[in-house]
Amino acid sequence: MNILAFSQYERADWVRLGCLVAAILLPFTPLANEYVLHTCILIFLYMILALGLNVVPGFNGLLDLGYVGFYGIGAYTAGLLTVHYGLSFWVILPLAAINGAIWGVLLGAPTLRLTGDYFAIVTFGFSELVVLFITNETWLTRGPLGLPGIDPPSIDLSWLGGPVIWLEGDSLGVYYLVMALVLVTLFVMYRIQNSRLGRAWFAIRDDELAAVSCGINLLVYKVIAFAISAAFGAVAGAFYARWVTVISPDAFLFWESFFILCMIVLGGLGNIWGVMLGAAILVSLGEVLREILPLLGLPENSRFLFYGLLMVVMMRLRPAGMLPIAAVAAQMKTTSKRRLAWFKKKGSAA
Amino acid sequence: MSPILEIKNLSKNFGGVKALQDISFDIGRGEIIGLIGPNGAGKTTLFNCVAGVEKPSSGQIIFHPDDDTSVQVGGKKPEHVTKLGIARTFQNIRLFDALTVLDNVKIGRHCRTRSNFFGAVFHTPSQQQEEVAIERDARAALDFVGLKVDYHAMASSLPYGEQRRLEIARALATDPKLLMLDEPAAGMNPQESKELMDLIRRVRDSGVTILLIEHDMKVVMGVCERVVVINYGQWLAEGNPHQVAKDPKVIEAYLGSGAACDAA
Amino acid sequence: MFLELLINGITLGGIYALIAVGYTMVYGVIQLINFAHGEIYMLGAFFALTFISAFNMPFFVAFALSMGCAAICGMLLDVVAYRPLRNSPRLAALITAIGMSIFLQNLAMIIWGSRPMPFPQEHLPAYFNQTAFVVGETPISWLQAYIFICTIVFMAGLNLIIHKTKVGKAMRAVAQNKTMAALVGINVNQVITVTFALAGALGAAAGILVGAYYNSVYPLMGYIAGVKAFAAAVLGGIGSVPGAMLGGFILGIAEALGAGYLSSLYRDGISYAVMIAVIIFIPAGLFGKIIRETKKSM
Repeated sequence: MNILAFSQYERADWVRLGCLVAAILLPFTPLANEYVLHTCILIFLYMILALGLNVVPGFNGLLDLGYVGFYGIGAYTAGLLTVHYGLSFWVILPLAAINGAIWGVLLGAPTLRLTGDYFAIVTFGFSELVVLFITNETWLTRGPLGLPGIDPPSIDLSWLGGPVIWLEGDSLGVYYLVMALVLVTLFVMYRIQNSRLGRAWFAIRDDELAAVSCGINLLVYKVIAFAISAAFGAVAGAFYARWVTVISPDAFLFWESFFILCMIVLGGLGNIWGVMLGAAILVSLGEVLREILPLLGLPENSRFLFYGLLMVVMMRLRPAGMLPIAAVAAQMKTTSKRRLAWFKKKGSAA
Repeated sequence: MSPILEIKNLSKNFGGVKALQDISFDIGRGEIIGLIGPNGAGKTTLFNCVAGVEKPSSGQIIFHPDDDTSVQVGGKKPEHVTKLGIARTFQNIRLFDALTVLDNVKIGRHCRTRSNFFGAVFHTPSQQQEEVAIERDARAALDFVGLKVDYHAMASSLPYGEQRRLEIARALATDPKLLMLDEPAAGMNPQESKELMDLIRRVRDSGVTILLIEHDMKVVMGVCERVVVINYGQWLAEGNPHQVAKDPKVIEAYLGSGAACDAA
Repeated sequence: MFLELLINGITLGGIYALIAVGYTMVYGVIQLINFAHGEIYMLGAFFALTFISAFNMPFFVAFALSMGCAAICGMLLDVVAYRPLRNSPRLAALITAIGMSIFLQNLAMIIWGSRPMPFPQEHLPAYFNQTAFVVGETPISWLQAYIFICTIVFMAGLNLIIHKTKVGKAMRAVAQNKTMAALVGINVNQVITVTFALAGALGAAAGILVGAYYNSVYPLMGYIAGVKAFAAAVLGGIGSVPGAMLGGFILGIAEALGAGYLSSLYRDGISYAVMIAVIIFIPAGLFGKIIRETKKSM
């Protein structure tokens, strides 16, 4: 594919490119203060999480309520390896991913043959058990006291005779690091969804019996999806651990799973661009609500009331999200004739 | 030449209901065989047993992909059966409604291709070649069944007759040796039925054996070389379609005993 | 100690049974886990609390009234959130259920505050804290006895409704085959709403009893109790009312004994582990039948 053949790109592609350029240039504009950068880093972190979760409910149509469990596993894997062995961030990242994938397979293999409801609640139970484990096994994780002293990521140029660059706090280094992670995640998701693997997932989502008659082994492909989702959750967790440098169990409660679920539902189930948009919107909104609600005399956490209501309303009015994809919209039965025609023009499912 | 499929004493019970009782017949290589019988006779259940969707209660289903190999197919999982070379279509058309016409057929190629997560992400040369081949084979299958529509249309937007043909294209994309069609002519007008019969003959001529469930007698008479009649899960008659049609047992099964007497 | 733990477990089990029955009945008629059921349980407790403290109602009046209000909440939940999605894919209904659950938890937090509130002890019958009788060396208070009796009475009542009334028959019909039930003239939507009402009433009863027993009512109480009760329902066989009752007692006793002998830190974990184990190894539970998903995916 010739990248420079400009005629093949549609308006949506230019919008995305524009956003990317804006994101790259943002720290150099007058808009960029510490708070804005912090929020953007948070947005990027949640984009990774959203893209990771999207694989299961989005591509595969299964409700995963325990995503935060993998986030936590990744964070504590990274935290413990850093604190006890001083491993480099670049080594820990793949290790966390692998650990996440392993747990994804362990949890997924017995549970993905279950019906959707059971799968949802088992994943919920799993993430609760992860939190209980982290909280109670204080000999390992220091429990509620938290695990402090996690080194930030660093780029070690000393072998070239250069300095060791620490990527700390809300610095430019961290900003571009997490943005790079998002781009890598996005790239992987983009490649997968247009591949034989992605097609198999959409087939399973659409009609399991027909998928099976085409030679697709349901359990294997569902477990692959779950493992990939878990791996990216763990990667996000690893970054998180080395960004905030202190982690404790209360960052990994069910609320987080729900919050990330809200992002992908709002943005568009199964749409990699949509879920990123959902992440950006909800994180920004969340920060705003965090400020406003106490002024109204309401507890900070009551912004979840709004999220809950949002989910109910979305399922009623736009179940396929703000940026729906054909496969999901048709299945959620929100396809009007006009939208069908639009999809026909657009082309393939994704 | 060995038969391509041997069904030996196949029985299937659902709780107390005997859906299939001791059915035995062979399908010769390259034949077009019709499986007929009144509604509820057990025809789709037989398909499901061969395809692996149901597990036979007893009996054997032996598949011979070529003269030297034989595989016990009864009780194997459906995805395995497809890989072995038996494809099927569904009575109620099960397309991937929300996917495009082309994607539907591409998914049919799934069992003949191998690239995985790593191939997809790293765009390895073998994955790229495979994608090109998948696209080419999918288009070839669509071409073969004569489906002239926008390949990027959603499958559910096609008219009924074309959806049936799309399902057949998808089944052909799995490179089957044996193709089982479940009432492909249902809901078709005479012109479409004629085109379907031509298609079935073309498929057979390309080297695929065909087992056909059908109620439309014109199609059965027109295209089947042999028919097997079952009723209440039991084998009733077998042979040349015209002869079988005159068999009083068969007439009685369809029309009741009065009609059988009238015909005799 | 064993006896004491056992008594505790039976008390707890009765409460789980009451909540579990609600889950199982709703699942029986619409094949959906009502994630917001725990919140109805919680609301029942808060209603009683409010009726007693703010309106000075006697305990038993507040009890009955709260059950009624919770029944209405259950019906509203169905009509507003679930009924419009009756024909949508499962995923949509599940997300709505979770959304409602989170919404109600936070609504309660806004209305009543997130700190646990004590149940107004002065308004409870005084004899609740007195010993009713003694088994071995373990005293059983009137409250514990009352909880057990309540559970049995409600279970019996529910059984009566399900098997001896027209409405109950309709519920069983809808649970078995919605289409056929509609064809014989049953108003399926109405039956489903009634089921939600019953489930809500029982859940509220459980909530009030828990509030009185542990002397604490807080908005997140439905969250944990809900999952545990669901575990009990699954253990007994989802869709089976006797199963849910039995599952509730088994789980309550297991939790009490486990917390006492093994580890109280993992008290809640025991339920999750039981639930996961049951779902994976015996998904049909003790009395249930596996409901195969033969529809097109979700």
